[in-house]
Amino acid sequence: MKHYLFITLISFTGLFSSPQLKAQNAEKQTVVKVTGEVINPLELKLDDLAQFSQTEVTRKDRDGKDHVYSGVILSAILRKAGVTLGKDLRGENLTKYALIEASDGYQVVFALPELDKDFTDRTIILADMVDGKPLPPGDGPFRIIVQDEKKPARCIKQVTSIKIQFAK
Amino acid sequence: MTCPRRGFVLGLIHRVNYNWCKMFIVFLVLAVVTILSGWSNFDDGIETGPYKFKYPVSFGNRISIPEDNPTTKQGVYLGRMLFYEKKLSRDNTLSCAGCHHQNKAFTDGRPFGEGIEPIPASRNSMSLANLIWTRKYFWDSRAGSLEEQAVVPLTNPTEMGQSLEISVRKLRETTTYPPIFKLVFGEETITGDRIVKAIAQFERTLISCNSHYDQYLAGAYKPTEQELKGMELFMTGPNAAQGIRGGNCVHCHGGVKNYLELFHNNGLDSVPKDNGIETMTGLAADRGRFKAPTLRNIALTGPYMHDGRFKMLEDVIDHYSDHIVESPSLSSFLRGESNEPGGHSLKLLPSEKKEIIAFLNMLTDSTFITDPRFSDPNLPSAKIKFKSTASSK
Repeated sequence: MKHYLFITLISFTGLFSSPQLKAQNAEKQTVVKVTGEVINPLELKLDDLAQFSQTEVTRKDRDGKDHVYSGVILSAILRKAGVTLGKDLRGENLTKYALIEASDGYQVVFALPELDKDFTDRTIILADMVDGKPLPPGDGPFRIIVQDEKKPARCIKQVTSIKIQFAK
Repeated sequence: MTCPRRGFVLGLIHRVNYNWCKMFIVFLVLAVVTILSGWSNFDDGIETGPYKFKYPVSFGNRISIPEDNPTTKQGVYLGRMLFYEKKLSRDNTLSCAGCHHQNKAFTDGRPFGEGIEPIPASRNSMSLANLIWTRKYFWDSRAGSLEEQAVVPLTNPTEMGQSLEISVRKLRETTTYPPIFKLVFGEETITGDRIVKAIAQFERTLISCNSHYDQYLAGAYKPTEQELKGMELFMTGPNAAQGIRGGNCVHCHGGVKNYLELFHNNGLDSVPKDNGIETMTGLAADRGRFKAPTLRNIALTGPYMHDGRFKMLEDVIDHYSDHIVESPSLSSFLRGESNEPGGHSLKLLPSEKKEIIAFLNMLTDSTFITDPRFSDPNLPSAKIKFKSTASSK
């Protein structure tokens, strides 16, 4: 009888420590989806962002103080997805835009030439760090930072989606 | 030579045939007359053609109408009938209107909706107004169209509790519905897809754009001083350092429609009973995150929040002013948003709370809640209006 009880207990222990359950318990990570008029749709996690060359942008936040944001130049991500930038950003491709959406439903738009270094020197990054630390939960894990833009309205927080579309 | 007996029999047969023939012709004439009169009444009652939406230019044209369900006058007519049709519930006692009363801006006045079973629904019944500008439906954004949304309450066991297949069968058995489906969809075949499409068409017409606030924006209403002060507080973000006072309601309820389609954890609980959008995404950042609903007719749509925990508008304002609860997923726009230096919530003055409520009352649209185009077509008083409204569009 004791043997059966022991086997039953062991079985239950095995069940509760199964890899599937561990995976369920692990906190799910936010991803940024890059979709729409792209050749290679992407789903970027924090680790994926670290694979790109990192750039810093300094801008003021609501507290009125300068903060150093670091992340990846948005056009570098779009190039990896196969978006028409550089020499391909001409003709009808000039009517394309990036619709960026946050997890709270907030949306902003950038026309592709606003993101292309052939058109502008202004840097726009997908940031994951501020002052050397991960973005706070209410702002991150991903936030767009627009260099020198007067209003912060397009520095969209909690980014989850970048969709490239044609204006119709 | 004819047998006399045979002649009698032939005569009898002849007379019987003649009588049958006469009865058949009378029946045929009656049937044709009935059908023709039915058709003519039908055509008289329901105007057909594209439905033209009317709303202020400032509302904008970012509207959601699926390509496979264009809005027509006959579709809206059918959708209205179905919205108020109790046969769409398992026990024939409940229609969509059971939880969406027109006089309450299509809410039900209860913390949670009540279906055919004595079990409350999981969330508060939402107002149905200006849905044509909505792209994500339900408190947690789980439906991407009104058509998709309508299936849920129709089939949910704790709401109307009936499969679309059974609804189709019940409507097929009526004499009323098949010809109207033919008028709307080109054939009498009733399907679940067509039921929800027609309901969605009607719901898109529920446009509220004649409140005192709309009239004020059109230069046709002069607000009271209290309403104007409330409007200013509603539109202004507080900045304690600069002495600027505000409620910053506009952050989530801004624009002329008072709706921005945003989803936030608004500080109701440290550990929510209902995890909101996290239930779908599995992301901790979405815990307790729900839709910031339209404030149109907000004075009529209590109790408030996804769980109807606040009975009065005063309770809602008190929450944002004094009772924001911190949690890891609390929206960043509510953190440190205060009229007091270092404050954790708005900290409005009693007079300011009343002023904001005065402005919120400006959002009540009395024509929307009495518009005969949106009322129950089955009520005797509405039947005449239903017919005349349908033919006047």
